[in-house]
Amino acid sequence: MKKIPKHIITASILCVFVVAAVIYLAIVFRSAKQEEPIYAGPGVTEVRKLSYWFPGLANTSGDTDVYILDSGVPGASMLVLGGTHPNEPSGFISAVMLVEYCRPKAGTLYVIPRANNSAFTCTDPQEAAPMKFYIDTDGGTRAFRFGSRATNPIDQWPDSEVYVHASSGQKLSGSETRNLNRAYPGREDGNLTEKIAYGITTLIRNEDIEITVDLHEASPEYTTVNAIVAHEDALELAALTLWEVEDSFQISVEKSPTNLHGLTHRELGDFTDTWALLMETANPSQGRLHGRIDSDLVVSGKDKFYTRAATYGAVTVPYTESGISLSERCARHITCLVQFAQQYAFVGSEGDLDLGDMPTYRQILENGIGHYLADAQ
Amino acid sequence: MDIELVCLLSMLAVFLLANLLLKLPVSISMILGAIVGALVGGQGIPVRHLFEGTFTYIDTILIISTAMLFMTVIQESGALEALNAFIVTKFYKVPALMLIFLMLVIMFPGMITGSSTAAVLSAGALVAPVLLLIGIPKEKAGAIIAIGAIMGMAAPPINIPAMLIGGGVDMPYIGFDGPLFLLTIPCAIFAVLFLGLKYCKNLDIEKLKDGLDTEIGKKYGFKLYIPIIVLFVLLVVSKAFPKFPQLGTCLIFLISAVVGLFTGKRFNFWEKSLSAMETTIPVLAKLMGVGMFIQVLTLVGARGWIVVSCLGLGMVFVYIATFTIMPGFGAISSYGAASVIGVPFLLVIIQNTSCNDIIVAAVLAFTCCLGDLMPPTALAGNYAAQIVGLKYKKVLVCCVIPFLVCIAVAVAVIFNTNALAFLTK
Repeated sequence: MKKIPKHIITASILCVFVVAAVIYLAIVFRSAKQEEPIYAGPGVTEVRKLSYWFPGLANTSGDTDVYILDSGVPGASMLVLGGTHPNEPSGFISAVMLVEYCRPKAGTLYVIPRANNSAFTCTDPQEAAPMKFYIDTDGGTRAFRFGSRATNPIDQWPDSEVYVHASSGQKLSGSETRNLNRAYPGREDGNLTEKIAYGITTLIRNEDIEITVDLHEASPEYTTVNAIVAHEDALELAALTLWEVEDSFQISVEKSPTNLHGLTHRELGDFTDTWALLMETANPSQGRLHGRIDSDLVVSGKDKFYTRAATYGAVTVPYTESGISLSERCARHITCLVQFAQQYAFVGSEGDLDLGDMPTYRQILENGIGHYLADAQ
Repeated sequence: MDIELVCLLSMLAVFLLANLLLKLPVSISMILGAIVGALVGGQGIPVRHLFEGTFTYIDTILIISTAMLFMTVIQESGALEALNAFIVTKFYKVPALMLIFLMLVIMFPGMITGSSTAAVLSAGALVAPVLLLIGIPKEKAGAIIAIGAIMGMAAPPINIPAMLIGGGVDMPYIGFDGPLFLLTIPCAIFAVLFLGLKYCKNLDIEKLKDGLDTEIGKKYGFKLYIPIIVLFVLLVVSKAFPKFPQLGTCLIFLISAVVGLFTGKRFNFWEKSLSAMETTIPVLAKLMGVGMFIQVLTLVGARGWIVVSCLGLGMVFVYIATFTIMPGFGAISSYGAASVIGVPFLLVIIQNTSCNDIIVAAVLAFTCCLGDLMPPTALAGNYAAQIVGLKYKKVLVCCVIPFLVCIAVAVAVIFNTNALAFLTK
């Protein structure tokens, strides 16, 4: 019997190994497509898809749920965007909390927890982020996906070397091609990310949304962090909010730069009548200085290297060994959202917006954000 | 000792042991280093992370693969030989000008794509035979190509590390052209004259003609150059009219390669392209190994340890690290250096000094680009060496002086940012 050459045997073993790895990894990566449940709370009156406003998104991974919380009392409307960047979990979790807990008393609240739905289905190479993070609720532990800053390349790829923002001609690194917050106001016939931006812009126009708030996080060494960035039309609202919340926590108001395009706080303010605001909290799992990365870092926000970097003056926010927890970051977002709604009564002209009985900053810190989420089911 | 440092040292030790003592390929050594780092960091064997890391350079890998096909076509069709004959016979009387012209040709694809790999594999491969023909030794020709490609990558209008650093601090990519020209053009001219001029002062055209195939150009005429023209026209058009649908660098290389199949000598494309890919697979594997390595560095916290340790040593060290560790990080990835180190360094420098932020960012981006010379990845250096048929180490030695001059220019610029602020207008 003829002997099989050794290199053929080696190659065969490697091929079997590769096939097994690919099957295993396909299962792992495809699991990111499984959406975590968001339970419509008592305030939710309707759930629509974003494709309702822009049918071009139907049956694409860019289509996403829009939760409508109509108080039944005429008044102003506010749109909250969570999950523009799914690697910035406080925006996503704050939006989920609104859907599951908030019960407006006047006006209408629109919430999109997964603004870039596609970006929830992958993570970024080199960042080694966990695929999920876990939050303890009163009724058990819930898992949420930790995604990418950008649309899944399975849905939109390849990127050009240089991203040119369509309406301004601004040039950015090609990696920004799939960044939803560089795509506004979007294009009807653009790539998937631009279509998502166009869908959100259309929703704002068609529903005459008075206030739009995009919830974000930034690394603690970033210059714009613990901040409200406001389009010039929304500056007064941001300033009033600042005065109301600064007893509870430190936050700054920054005017949206006019030469930085594609972002919600610039383009939604320029291309629609909405008052556009963006908020940033400090997320240690997102920065470049953190140590080991896992669900615990995402939720506790404790990191020894950020503590060390703070002593060197290399971070721009107060940072101690106690970290900056997800509950604290969500508390900032929620508190400011409540204040945007309340202060609108003083500077707006479309009636009241009352988000109802919402927890205070202190209550969220004491009870944890999980207390205000639905139980695990 | 921090566990993150233990992980880092374990990864480096295993990598060096496997590569230098066991003589395993760089790619396999990096994979072994990554696995051991994950085990030491208590992560087991993180198959998902190892696999995800390999995708870091997927775009670069595709560009390299398609560029290799293009290069095979223009070599086998005779276009390369004809082009060499044309350049030498036209410019041999003014060697300094010829060298500077050739350097600009090498830089051009890098300037418009932001990729040193694209520059080496397209214009670098075209110019290499000319440099060898006029008497420049292989190692110095390789060094000229490597430095030229890197200067092209750093030169405006497209500098991707500058975009990455700017993106990290919300700085628009505006006002970079002046500083980047100041950093790159003098360095490029110095490098090519320093490395090449003494070999081509008294060129004997008759001797040179013996080594040139002047007939192939006459036989096929202008059409021989069509694939090269198609390549450059498509690259330029895609950048000049960004609102039109983008073909992407890979497709541009492929289209140009297909055109080249019909414009010169006929050859067995399948056989030649297989051979070309065989030579390039080790470099592609190296990129995948590097991707795994950096993913595990991040996973176990060693990346954070490196950055925080640099920041902790004060402003003087930040400046020193800018000109040592940042290009050194290019051994893993020059884009990675921009993103991982460039952003925090820029923030620290602009928060603690009154330097012009755009010029500081330009200098940081420039030093990141120099990282494409650093082994084991050394995208520009490895391919330049391959093109001239040498091991990379010999080319690297010739790059030392131009590299140090580049660093000196960068140092001079970063300490005079306010005087040079007019360049950003």
